[in-house]
Amino acid sequence: MCGLCGVFLTETHWSDATVAAPDQGARTRRHERLHRVALANLVLKHYGLKVSDWQGCAYLLSSQTGQTSVVPSIAAVWPVAEQLRKRTLDPLDEGLIEALERTR
Amino acid sequence: MNSEPVSSIDRTIPITVLTGFLGSGKTTLLQRLLRSPKMSQTVVLINELGEIGLDHLLMERVDESVVLLQSGCICCSIRDDLKSALRGLLGRRDRGEIPEFDRVVIETTGLADPGPILYTLLGEPVVRHHFRIESVITTVDAVNAELHLSRNPEGIKQVAAADRIVVTKTDIADPDQTTAVREELLRLNPSAELLDAIELAEASDSSLDPDSLLAPRRFESSHRSTAGPRVETRERAYVTALRRHSPEVASLSLALEEALDWTAFGIWLSMLLNRHGDDVLRVKGILQVSGMSTPVFINAVQHIVHPPQHLERWPTDDHRSRIVFITRGVDHALLRRSLAAFSHSAVSDVSYA
Repeated sequence: MCGLCGVFLTETHWSDATVAAPDQGARTRRHERLHRVALANLVLKHYGLKVSDWQGCAYLLSSQTGQTSVVPSIAAVWPVAEQLRKRTLDPLDEGLIEALERTR
Repeated sequence: MNSEPVSSIDRTIPITVLTGFLGSGKTTLLQRLLRSPKMSQTVVLINELGEIGLDHLLMERVDESVVLLQSGCICCSIRDDLKSALRGLLGRRDRGEIPEFDRVVIETTGLADPGPILYTLLGEPVVRHHFRIESVITTVDAVNAELHLSRNPEGIKQVAAADRIVVTKTDIADPDQTTAVREELLRLNPSAELLDAIELAEASDSSLDPDSLLAPRRFESSHRSTAGPRVETRERAYVTALRRHSPEVASLSLALEEALDWTAFGIWLSMLLNRHGDDVLRVKGILQVSGMSTPVFINAVQHIVHPPQHLERWPTDDHRSRIVFITRGVDHALLRRSLAAFSHSAVSDVSYA
């Protein structure tokens, strides 16, 4: 358990695992987390939300109005983001897909 | 699902989940498997103690009691009975009350949704530490397939969750009906290996070779019916009848032209399963991940994602990422476009025909 916030720190979520081997050019854990945050923010930007690394062990999800929530993994971001925004976050949403296509 | 990628060397005990509708031949298949000497150290967990006359090491009865987690969906629920049965087995083995065992087969009831069973095996901390899911086998009765798929919503989930589908009673079914059933099963789950119970029986004397049926199946394209496309009217009628059950359930096989950024894929899949997990019945694929020469195998049943696994080699010369989706009412054009947008890779359709 995290002594600061009382969050139970569980094992690594499958989506947070690093699958590349260290000798095959894997990013460091810190670098990987920053990369994950950057990619997730490309999606979250579409919904007026932002995620940042929190102490290397969780993520801080925040809205433009200052609502914030600590989440243990990127996979846990989606249901919390839906609660914060009071709307669904759908990867099949054409508006989101078009926005991501423009970032190419 | 929580986990690090699993290495190929594993000391956990393999579990085979045997599912299929009532009367579809699960118990008969199990009886024949258990006659093999290779199965002498197998524990069988069974839901229904029917007529099964197993002269066997052990049989356990598991009563169905599903404990729903708060705010969880039905597929993400811990099967308390299964958890207790498996933990109990470990305890009794350690106390010397039962012999060592090297395999567990769980025979589900015909009405079981495989989701909670897989979730328990992957999500319960003690169970996950000692056991691993080796494969899911689903039996489908060729004579009554239409009835099973149309009357029982779990029937579709059982077919979608399967790594191997054993079609039974093909000796008493109309050959056109059998062909139609096979075609429909491959349409629903192109990632599954399709086996014929009668052919399996003919290929062996009294027992089935467990290696052919229970070995882990990662990602090989399914072999199509050797009969080729048939246009007989009677077969068409059977196919039409079979499709009545689930017009919205369809599979999609995709290939990605470029190596995948695992992180981007994880973001996409976790977001997809959060919103559409109830309707994404299965995701199974072999991925070419950036920075890796060997493939990563992924396998998900509804919201339940198996730990990604490193494979030692590619099964074929095709080193592209290939993913099979089995969905219900999901727009495949949008799914394809979404995956391409998130992964920054061109996505093309793959046909296993």
